[in-house]
Amino acid sequence: MQRLPIKYAKPGMVLAKEAVTEDGMVLCGPGTELDAAIISRFQKAGLEAITVEGHPVRLPGEKGLRERIKELEMRFSRVKGDPVLMALMKLIANYWVEQEMPPDKSQQQK
Amino acid sequence: MTTMSSKEEIKARLKEVQSLPTLPAIVTKLNEMVEDEDVTAVQLGKIIEKDQVLTSKLLKMVNSSFFGFPQRISTVSNAIVLLGFNVIKTLIVTSSIFETMQTEDVSLWEHSLGCATVATVLAKHHGIKNPEEISTAGLIHDLGKIVIKAELPEEYEKIVELVAAEEIPMREAELKVLGVGHAEIGSWLVKEWNLPDRLTMPIKYHHAPSTAKGEARLAAIIHFSDILIRAIGYGSGGDPWVPELDHDAWNKIKMGKNEMREVLDEVEDKLAGLANFTDELTQGG
Ligand SMILES: [Fe+2]
Ligand SMILES: [Fe+2]
Repeated sequence: MQRLPIKYAKPGMVLAKEAVTEDGMVLCGPGTELDAAIISRFQKAGLEAITVEGHPVRLPGEKGLRERIKELEMRFSRVKGDPVLMALMKLIANYWVEQEMPPDKSQQQK
Repeated sequence: MTTMSSKEEIKARLKEVQSLPTLPAIVTKLNEMVEDEDVTAVQLGKIIEKDQVLTSKLLKMVNSSFFGFPQRISTVSNAIVLLGFNVIKTLIVTSSIFETMQTEDVSLWEHSLGCATVATVLAKHHGIKNPEEISTAGLIHDLGKIVIKAELPEEYEKIVELVAAEEIPMREAELKVLGVGHAEIGSWLVKEWNLPDRLTMPIKYHHAPSTAKGEARLAAIIHFSDILIRAIGYGSGGDPWVPELDHDAWNKIKMGKNEMREVLDEVEDKLAGLANFTDELTQGG
């Protein structure tokens, strides 16, 4: 799952969450495959961002999963003795890993 | 003794400083009016609306994606009805601090905004009344850090050096250099603003919520919001580490794995929605 500014929307991407405008208007439901017509409708409605399946775009400045998890572990380095916080760290790491899975794989997991 | 200054000395020095966010005259006036029980939101709104610059800043903030009200709030009195007088008052006093932060300390601004975002999500999960208050508390929880940086620049330098040299959290370095931490310094300020415990306790006790003298659950929420936003790595609170968890506080707001996943999901959603927030506030119109 990846949240993308609307300018990165490309035909073929699949919505992981409904597309909602700032005023709460729902344009499309999850599972919708984008095409040029839908994308231009989003732009006209002033939609700023969408959430799509998988992790199709490496945004400028965005770090890879491996690096993000290394930094996550560094941030938790002072609280290694706390089982609650260690569980939180694992939960966040798993959450990130699953987010980057392509849609078909995350389907199988469910 | 590693303490270079005493707490009382720091307190006295901060009192003398003129540029501290003291109460604008308008807030003093509003506080007086609120003591009169018959005063209405419309009357309070009228006083604020006399100041056009303040009014436009305030309306931008309450209409921003941060509070995310579905309808447009067009008058100050509506804002008071929807968000409550305490939130409006806090936004008035802190508006200039936020402006400085948005340009001069972006990472602390992001940390504050992120903490507020987590607090908003947790407030929903725990059915907290007046959720805008706890969101606002999240936004100003590290107010003390801004005060140290702005008013005690030499000490601030030493604190930053200590964090890097000894690899200790900023809170510990503050105690070594000032004899007092940012949470307590922040609480000296908010005390002057006549805010209820619901806003002051989470700020004063966000690093030791189980010692809070009231509103322990709200203090626990800000405590954990600070931890979670540092864990995710959004913005920076002055050092890179996740702070210790206060387990008594955690027991008050404990969540299981599934609920925590929902929280992570909602936080990410909200943070993405806030990508343009700072622009929203600074744009004209
Ligand atoms: Fe703090
Ligand atoms: Fe913080």
